[in-house]
Amino acid sequence: MDMVVAHELVKVFPTTEGAEKRAVDALSFAVGRGRIYGLLGPNGAGKTTTLRILAGLMSPTSGSATIAGHDVSTAPGEVKRMLGFLTANTGLYQRLTARELLIYFARLHGMEPARAARRAEELVDRLNIAEFAGLRCGALSTGQKQRVNVARALVGDPPILIMDEPTLGLDVFSNRIINDFIKRQREAGKAVILSTHYLDEAEEMCDTIGLLHEGRLVAQGDLASLRAQSGEHRLSNIFLKLIERSEDAEAAVK
Amino acid sequence: MRAQSRIGTVYVKELTDILRDRRTLIAMVVVPIVLYPLLMLGSIQAVTYQAERLEDEEIIVGVVGTAQSKLLQWLVEWDDDALKRERMRLGPDSGEAARLPTSLVDRIKIHDFANRDLLEEMIRARHLHAGIAFKDDAFVRAADGQNLVEILADREVVRSQAAEGYIRNMIDRITERLVKDRKRQSQLPVNFDRPFNVQVTDLSSPSSILGQILPLILVLMTITGAIYPAIDLTAGERERGTLESLMSSPVPVFDLIVGKFLVVTTVALMGATLNLVSVSATVYVGGFDKVIADTGGAIPVGGMVLILLCLIPFAILMSGIMIAVCSCARTFKEAQNYVTPVIVAVLIPGGIAALPATRLEGLMLVMPVGNMVLLARDLLLGADVSWWHVLMVVLSTTLYAGAAVAVATSMFGRESVVFADAASWKTVLSRRLFKQSAQPTVSMGLIIVALLFPTWFFVQSILSPGREESAAGLLFNTAWLMPVLFVLLPAAALRYWKVDLRNALALRTVSGRYMAAAVLIGISAWIPIHEFSVAQLGLFGTPRALEQSSEMIAETLAALPVISVLLVIAVIPALCEELLFRGLLLQSLRTSTHKWPAILISSAVFAVFHFWLFRFVITALLGLVLAYICWQSRSIIPSLTIHLLHNGIGALTIVYPGWHRWLGLEQSTENTPFPIHVVITGVGLSVIGLFMAMRSKPASAPHLTPAAENGAPAAEAG
Repeated sequence: MDMVVAHELVKVFPTTEGAEKRAVDALSFAVGRGRIYGLLGPNGAGKTTTLRILAGLMSPTSGSATIAGHDVSTAPGEVKRMLGFLTANTGLYQRLTARELLIYFARLHGMEPARAARRAEELVDRLNIAEFAGLRCGALSTGQKQRVNVARALVGDPPILIMDEPTLGLDVFSNRIINDFIKRQREAGKAVILSTHYLDEAEEMCDTIGLLHEGRLVAQGDLASLRAQSGEHRLSNIFLKLIERSEDAEAAVK
Repeated sequence: MRAQSRIGTVYVKELTDILRDRRTLIAMVVVPIVLYPLLMLGSIQAVTYQAERLEDEEIIVGVVGTAQSKLLQWLVEWDDDALKRERMRLGPDSGEAARLPTSLVDRIKIHDFANRDLLEEMIRARHLHAGIAFKDDAFVRAADGQNLVEILADREVVRSQAAEGYIRNMIDRITERLVKDRKRQSQLPVNFDRPFNVQVTDLSSPSSILGQILPLILVLMTITGAIYPAIDLTAGERERGTLESLMSSPVPVFDLIVGKFLVVTTVALMGATLNLVSVSATVYVGGFDKVIADTGGAIPVGGMVLILLCLIPFAILMSGIMIAVCSCARTFKEAQNYVTPVIVAVLIPGGIAALPATRLEGLMLVMPVGNMVLLARDLLLGADVSWWHVLMVVLSTTLYAGAAVAVATSMFGRESVVFADAASWKTVLSRRLFKQSAQPTVSMGLIIVALLFPTWFFVQSILSPGREESAAGLLFNTAWLMPVLFVLLPAAALRYWKVDLRNALALRTVSGRYMAAAVLIGISAWIPIHEFSVAQLGLFGTPRALEQSSEMIAETLAALPVISVLLVIAVIPALCEELLFRGLLLQSLRTSTHKWPAILISSAVFAVFHFWLFRFVITALLGLVLAYICWQSRSIIPSLTIHLLHNGIGALTIVYPGWHRWLGLEQSTENTPFPIHVVITGVGLSVIGLFMAMRSKPASAPHLTPAAENGAPAAEAG
């Protein structure tokens, strides 16, 4: 069974001027267990909006999406229980220590105090947080913060992970820790959706890549099929080629 | 995890977080602990210092002409002499001698001027402290034994005012001595000119200026205490980017908001308590109670505790308002901008209440903030506060607080607030952006009811007839105002929010079983209610005002045609109240509250709307039954039937007071219970009706599209 299914998702933002902005336009894709799906696209392509709809934080204007079989519009509570959501610019509570923060989110996921503390220690071990787990989050470096954030997203041990540019602005060391961790999650059978700017990262990590441009999916497939479709080898060239082609097609239709 | 546990988790975390913030600690702990003693010490020392300095300063006085200058000089010396003699008589070192006023002889400096204009000019130019003009240059006129002394002073100048006082006191002392001498010479008794001497003993508990302004200060401190955490926990959370991860965890928005709201309330109360403790400590430990007592009494320590208790519902209200306002804000700065006008709006009723002439009655009973300030003041000054006034204040404050928290729930976590960077209020309020929804949300229901409550109270106060007037105006105006306020306006608001009216007002057909239950309860409920009423009368008696008003209304009704009585007593109130309380309110509660809390809340609000707190319990009981059957059947038709029949029987009693005889009963009065078999029949029928409603399979929900997930009106913005 596909863990994440998006079907004809549309998100229209009304603006005060009366014009509407279609941030996501008829988007369909599916992600199965043990797979990493990469959502790639330039700024403003609709990646973040898509991920927020999948996480049950925004409701779609039309279309539907299910997370482990739960509809995001009608069962946002179940959806939130099933997934870990992470964004690049997520803040942490400055005045809590990393450990307190993890315990807090574990409690919000319904764990009893003792279990929440155990779960927090597990994550502290796995993401090499131990040396700064007792420090307040306000005092952590960007890389340390992002590791705590990843741990926070995983606290409920969800079968699905949605990660919006998890390595944005990180140093090589933190980058490596987080990417290795995500790969281990795939091996553990989780479904991962990853959005990123770094094309080589996408090449390395993703099983399937979806190219998003102006809210629409321009192309979708594994790296080999994208190479075949575009006749290019490097992902960045594939990317540019396919977007160019889709714009040409659009112009032709008009 | 249970909701309480989730709310508890949020509460503990947020409280830890906010208490670790240095800014909270400074605002909450350091400021009150340091500020009050400093302020009080500073101001008292400044006042004392200034007074001491004034006492030692020269008094420069002007007169017109040498003769007047000589007269004044002579009077000053004469007074000095008299004071010296008095001091000798008392013994120079005795305490009484120390309390004698000081003579002006060493301090007064007399200048004489050519004319009155010059003298006045010098006083205005502040070269002189005061001027004196005697009508006669001689001591007193022989003809009537009096001299007119005019003191010229500029009362806006402290020194001038002081000089006026010194001179007046001196003249008074001299006058007193002269009168004494004159009585002795004429051999008149000492109290010849004062046959009665009036003394007033004040039996009220000591009050003071502090007692008048302290409630306002504390109210202000409670508000101030709520502002920072309210902003930090809502707009601050969003600004720091933690809101998105919080919203992505599986916790209902309601639980988050309640947890946060409780933290704000706690911090506000902690702040108010610390302020109160600091003020009390400064006053009592710092020894200022005597200083304050000199200027008009002190505050009993017990009063302080009472105020603190009063502050609890108030802190709840303010925290609710602050959380609601700040939930609409996207940034700290935006939240601060919203908070300022709210504080002003809150201070206006607070300020009105602080006026000495304002009393806790009429509209002030339900005026938000104002009622709390007044209650605190009355309790503090030991005024006689009736228990139902206290109840009214607490209940209305709780109602407003509930509405505020409901608004906060609907605003907090809304897409446009969580994600939009530049969304304006237009996107929040614009009807175009609302989604169609089948059910009203709790916030819609509570907002409408909270706005209606003071309006309805005000309308009823205006309409209530005077002593000699008939109740016809009240009845007639209620008959058209009730449909407008209870039905038309809420329906218009629901239309604006694009809520389906049939669903929102529970206008659905029901099975025959519910109707049979409704008819049984409707025709029998008046019997247990009568019994209850008799029991309550026996226990408490009837308030005279209620008795009078009921009699007046009954008299007016008896003169009306039957159809009008039915309309005014049964049809209109039943329809309007069912549509508002069992329709809008109960249906809105249904969307996010469990069965019994929803039923209890709606019946309590129903009872509060009837104002006569004496009937509170009876009305609330009736409300419980009506809400229960409405909840079970998902329709207001059964509860409407009960209400119509019940009120119809009331109308019948007014039109044909003797109708009970048809049932084989003696004419009953309000004070006599019915025979036991009637009671058993009545209670029995009602219980069977309730049992039928209970056993009926709860009507399944009609196909509903839930109102927007985070609470409508749902607006989205990019």
